[in-house]
Amino acid sequence: MRGMTGDKRPDPPLDSDHAAFIQGGVSVVVATRDADCVPDLVRGCGCRVSRDRRRVTVLVEPSRAGTLLDDIAANGMIAVVFSQPSTHRTIQLKGSDARVVKLSAADRAIAARHLRDWSEDLCRIGYTPEFANAVRGAAPRLAAIAFTPSAAFQQTPGPGAGKSLVP
Amino acid sequence: MPLTLHAIRPCFEGAVPAVIATCALDGTPNVSYISEVHYVDARHVALSFQFFSKTRQNVLENPRATVVVIHPDTGAQYKLAVRYLRTEDSGPLFECMKAKLAGIASHAGMTGVFRLRGSDVYRVESITEVYGTSIAALPARSAGAAELRCCMARLSSASDLAGLLDALLDGLAAHFGIAQAMVLMGDAAGEKLYTVASRGYPQSGVGAEIRPGEGVIGTAALARTPIRISHATSEFGYGRAMREDARSRGITAGIEQEIAFPGLPESQSQIAVPILAGERLLGVLFAESAETSRFGYDEEDALAVLASHVGAVAALLEERDDAHEEAPASAQSASPEGAPLRIRRYAENDSIFAGEDYLIKGVAGAILWKLLRNFVDEQRTEHTNRELRLDPTIRLPDLSENLEARLILLQRRLEERCPALGIEKTGRGRFRFNVRRPVRLAEIPR
Repeated sequence: MRGMTGDKRPDPPLDSDHAAFIQGGVSVVVATRDADCVPDLVRGCGCRVSRDRRRVTVLVEPSRAGTLLDDIAANGMIAVVFSQPSTHRTIQLKGSDARVVKLSAADRAIAARHLRDWSEDLCRIGYTPEFANAVRGAAPRLAAIAFTPSAAFQQTPGPGAGKSLVP
Repeated sequence: MPLTLHAIRPCFEGAVPAVIATCALDGTPNVSYISEVHYVDARHVALSFQFFSKTRQNVLENPRATVVVIHPDTGAQYKLAVRYLRTEDSGPLFECMKAKLAGIASHAGMTGVFRLRGSDVYRVESITEVYGTSIAALPARSAGAAELRCCMARLSSASDLAGLLDALLDGLAAHFGIAQAMVLMGDAAGEKLYTVASRGYPQSGVGAEIRPGEGVIGTAALARTPIRISHATSEFGYGRAMREDARSRGITAGIEQEIAFPGLPESQSQIAVPILAGERLLGVLFAESAETSRFGYDEEDALAVLASHVGAVAALLEERDDAHEEAPASAQSASPEGAPLRIRRYAENDSIFAGEDYLIKGVAGAILWKLLRNFVDEQRTEHTNRELRLDPTIRLPDLSENLEARLILLQRRLEERCPALGIEKTGRGRFRFNVRRPVRLAEIPR
């Protein structure tokens, strides 16, 4: 494909399977850091991946985000972990060009679908929908953070944890 | 009122995984799941260190991190700003976290994958509730002070060790709804713990032994710290594997018999709390339940308070026991009737059999043999604790050996297995050995 389109850039670190995984019913946790390298984190409300898989957008509720949005504006450094509660399958993406972007028309629907799918997965391992809703919290407002994944790691607990997804 | 770690202790039960964000010195953030965030005290938490990960590398170079934990009942999230201090790879904190992690791993289907390498201790610098993530207000905690008070009142009225342990187990059932519990006492040499009292099992299991380091009970004894698990785990449970191990050890000695350990086959939650008298380990209080996550931090606190009171009262009773030994009363035991009972003693390990039934071994076995010999040779039935303590044939390991616990063990084994013989307390520091059938003694040499 690369040859045909003339795109000389390296392959994106996400393959289509990973892209589907991080857009499914998985826990999304976003981390940043401030000028003193003090990290902050927030549980996200969903994710979308661009068609070419080079751009990932995560949704967060701004009133829960602490210093995170300021950190993004200040330095663009980001790490996001995606984990499926029922299987522990986990991957982490990192980027250095994160910025807050305008919400797309589909983002509210993405957040609603994410809550539904994630809640279903939690219920599979014995949690109640009420608990899932509480942890996710109401999301009256959303903010979108977009970044280019520069590295991707497999983080499922076990001997392979920490390995890069792209050999 | 500012949030305290104490107020959110249920978050540290390991029911819901926590997340931690760290940052490398080059400014690259990292975010990762943590299996176990452990409440250490009002200012500290400890995180399980299981893998050599980026998180670990980061905190070693930049100790400031942020942890988010979730309340298992309300779903509320709490953000902790923490600073890495040190790693402990042995000792009470480590043992406690290791056992809890085994339960968490079992619950998560990660047995064998989650293995504790160290307990990373962090100072908590601030706690904030994450906006809008709770279904309900933090439940008002039952401090358990009223229940504790009722239990303590029962303990204080006990006049001997047997009564004290009965009061403890009855109190747990009556005031805390803890139906399955037992007390194991340790020998002074620290070689084993033996069950002296239990509640809620089909068989009392009195006399059943556990080695220090074995399962939840043995670990609590060895590390001298409460050990608690919320989900059944083969690693720390005393399940079938341990019983089979015990059986195989029983066979090696040829003549040795094991008393089956009492216990719930479907046990999910277990807690073991050491009973200490000052520095000395007297024994372990153990409780269990078929319910998962039955024992939380509040129950751990309550059991720890009770165990410490039991330790202090037991030590006091020991002293009184020595101080009040009086001359034996005149013999009043009934004369033996019926068919003679053949009693064998194997010199190798002091194990005693009545007919074909295994009764007891070790120090308690040696005591029983002495009582039987005194009865046969001198028709003597009245005894004092002091005389047993001074007897060279009983080979009490040392003076701090808890003789009273051995006598309780012996008394209860006889009640259960050999009603023809019995021990009856006749006063502080003395007792009567009742022999209701004629006995024929046989010694089997080594």
